Amino acid sequence: MITRWLLRRLGRSLDDRLRTAPVLRRAFAKVFPDHWSFMLGELALYSFVVLVLTGIFLTLFFEPSTADTVYSGSYAPLDGSRTSAAYASTVRLSFDVRAGLLMRQTHHWAALLFVAAIVLHLLRIFFTGAFRKPREINWLIGVTMLALALFNGFTGYSVPDDLLSGTGLRILYSVTQSIPVLGEWLVFVAAGGEFPTEEMVPRMFVSHVLLVPAALAALIAAHLGILVRQKHSQFPGPGRTENNVVGSLFWPSYTMRTLALFAWVLAVTFALGGLAQINPVWIYGPFDPAQATSPAQPDWYVAWGDGALRLFPAVEFRIFGHLVASPFLPGVVFGGLTFAGLYLWPFLDRRHRRGQLSHQLLDPPREHPARLGFGVAVLTLFAVLLAAAADDIVAKIFRIPVLDVLSILRVLALALPIPAGVLAYLVARVLQASGGRGVGDLTRQDVRSVRRAVRARVGAGVGAVTAGSGTPPPQDWAAPADADRIELWRDRAGRWRWRCRGAGVLLTANQLYLSRDEAERAARTAYGDLPLREVEPPGGAVGVPAAMVERAGRVAGRTGGYLTLAAVAYWRSRRSRRR
Amino acid sequence: MTGTDTLPARRIAVVLAVLGLATGPVPLPAHAAGPAPLSARVGGAPDRPQTRAAPAPPPPTVPTPTAGASVPPTDPGGGSAAPAIPPTTGPVSPLGADLYLRSCASCHGPAGQGSQRAPSLVGVGPASVDFQLGTGRMPIDQEAAQPPHRRPAFSAAEIRAIVAHVSSFGGGGPQIPAVGPGDLRDGRELFLANCAACHSAAGVGATLTNGFVAPSLDQSTPVQVAEAVRVGPGLMPAFPESVLSPPQVDAVTSYVQELRGNRLDRGGASLGRLGPTTEGLVAWGIGLVLLVAVARWLGSRAGE
Repeated sequence: MITRWLLRRLGRSLDDRLRTAPVLRRAFAKVFPDHWSFMLGELALYSFVVLVLTGIFLTLFFEPSTADTVYSGSYAPLDGSRTSAAYASTVRLSFDVRAGLLMRQTHHWAALLFVAAIVLHLLRIFFTGAFRKPREINWLIGVTMLALALFNGFTGYSVPDDLLSGTGLRILYSVTQSIPVLGEWLVFVAAGGEFPTEEMVPRMFVSHVLLVPAALAALIAAHLGILVRQKHSQFPGPGRTENNVVGSLFWPSYTMRTLALFAWVLAVTFALGGLAQINPVWIYGPFDPAQATSPAQPDWYVAWGDGALRLFPAVEFRIFGHLVASPFLPGVVFGGLTFAGLYLWPFLDRRHRRGQLSHQLLDPPREHPARLGFGVAVLTLFAVLLAAAADDIVAKIFRIPVLDVLSILRVLALALPIPAGVLAYLVARVLQASGGRGVGDLTRQDVRSVRRAVRARVGAGVGAVTAGSGTPPPQDWAAPADADRIELWRDRAGRWRWRCRGAGVLLTANQLYLSRDEAERAARTAYGDLPLREVEPPGGAVGVPAAMVERAGRVAGRTGGYLTLAAVAYWRSRRSRRR
Repeated sequence: MTGTDTLPARRIAVVLAVLGLATGPVPLPAHAAGPAPLSARVGGAPDRPQTRAAPAPPPPTVPTPTAGASVPPTDPGGGSAAPAIPPTTGPVSPLGADLYLRSCASCHGPAGQGSQRAPSLVGVGPASVDFQLGTGRMPIDQEAAQPPHRRPAFSAAEIRAIVAHVSSFGGGGPQIPAVGPGDLRDGRELFLANCAACHSAAGVGATLTNGFVAPSLDQSTPVQVAEAVRVGPGLMPAFPESVLSPPQVDAVTSYVQELRGNRLDRGGASLGRLGPTTEGLVAWGIGLVLLVAVARWLGSRAGE
């Protein structure tokens, strides 16, 4: 009771000075769609928070320097060895700093989860068409954040200056170097000399803890700001149109859910950090250009690049006398194409569909079989590349010669994506036609009927897109046909509200309006021309006696509380005086 | 696992061997009791570079230095079963000759001269024979390019007898090295410089060419590690004393013992110490799956 009173006082005094109430009221009334897939981006956000929190801890103990030092600490096999300060401080913070290892491991696990959540979020956006107008800007920001996350993950993995990451750093150095003409200049500017340089660790550190996180924070702010400004997209469904958002209010419903998700992210990352060992640099040893450890792979989010390097044949050629080294095609060109494709996708997709309209309703993935098929094909290629990055482990476990593994994966990389894409395309068509909820609902008959339909269409040479038989196209879900009427009422405080009553749904608007006209206009915007009816306030008007009883009860409770407190205070003072 | 572990099968083998001494022909323990090794063809052996210090021809097969819970002769743990068996008496031990003729001669020849199926054993040295037998790689009952590490087929005393018998073929070769505790720090540095490129810095092993693997060192006893260092079994290069001094070998064996088990896994579950691949699988398969399940659950609680 007292906290509530304090909060109210605080809120009022803030509002007096800053006029926060209208802003907060609007913020609290923001509607979040209820579908779980809208929380994937939040997973990435909260992983980022964990990264910042644990990262600050690590910064206090890490020394970003390659200066020669002698480690002395409780890790016996390293005690007395000469290593770089970066490596020595990493081992020291793992073994001699309380909770240091937990923080370091949590940081690393959170980094893996951060990028994984970004990728899942991106896939959701991609397959549901959420990148379409008006959300292209946010797609571009998101792809930029993905690139920054990859870069920051790589620098974070490399700063401890251990044997495994040093190998990866050497690869990145060579890949950059392989760019014709520019490469040598780039690596000299970035690394300050021939690999390995003394400047690399301090520079990566500055980029890892300052530049990229600051850029990420700014981009996250822009990402969320645009999201609030544009409002959420939503899946089609009863009562959902291009002009409204159906879901939960930010306060209190969604706040609780999102805080719960935050708590879960903290729990999972710290549990992994405490229970599962990650990147044991004390075992790998300090980096030495003359040494290597095998098997060696990078973290999963750059492993696709490593896999491409391993799979691609070593091709070297000359352009105008300049030797183009073999890492150029799989490293620079493939990586460049990947991100160029990601950046351009909203515009490619738009040109393809010739749609210049704004889209607030998402596509269920099956509604765009071609997009689904393309996405699945690309994903399959990347899955093969990820497997290729672990070819040495596959070879070791299955006792197959590593070159055979490589040959098999080369064949798979070429042969698998297109059939996988075609399969996804066909499944989408079958699902469209059968109207089933998921792949599990399909029957053989569904598959057969679509095959027949496809064959018939191919035979007739007609380019129509409607599916053979089955349910009407789902654009109709969003049409106001099943929304019966709009109900308007005036609440106790004299403000106007409205809700939409449809078949099986009852959707209450989140805004309050000062006049009936405003409420009516808002309802018309959301649902077009529906019959409008003024009704009694839902839940019944609160009668005067009931209100009085409520108020009297509250007063009685408060008085009783204060009296009890006073009595307790009196009793305690009496007792202390008696002593 | 230490060398002093007494495995039930080996205990049985020792008992059988003792009974055999008492009653006549020696029944062989389980592994070797089957048909005599069909083949010990050695994939890479003929073209092995002959660069080692000792003039040792290739060992009987192409294993690499892993090893098992065997009891090498210098290991005091083997002494538990020893009293019942007459101590090896050099090249004339009837037990060694008997076991050799039963389990080895069909491929390596009765005088160790080798055959089409297996290389000569003349001059391989006691360290090599002890390593192959002690890690259970020999005798093999099935043709394999690289016999895996197994439980040894013979008891410690039997191995000693066979080693002595094979040594009687002549030719010298590396002796079984004596190992003692060494410096952990030197061991770590030497291991990373000389061993990690194939056996991995974590000692879990890695793949080599043509399907050969540098095996995991998780079961190697100090003596077996030292033997492998000196002998260079399979594709492994040999490190004679001119390259690694005895104290340096002691240091390496000590560090390998530190790598064994999970003593160095201070961060929790080791995930096989396979590096970022398993870590990525755990991040996706456990971390992200769990969090997505949570998101789905929270989504289903909308409106509550």
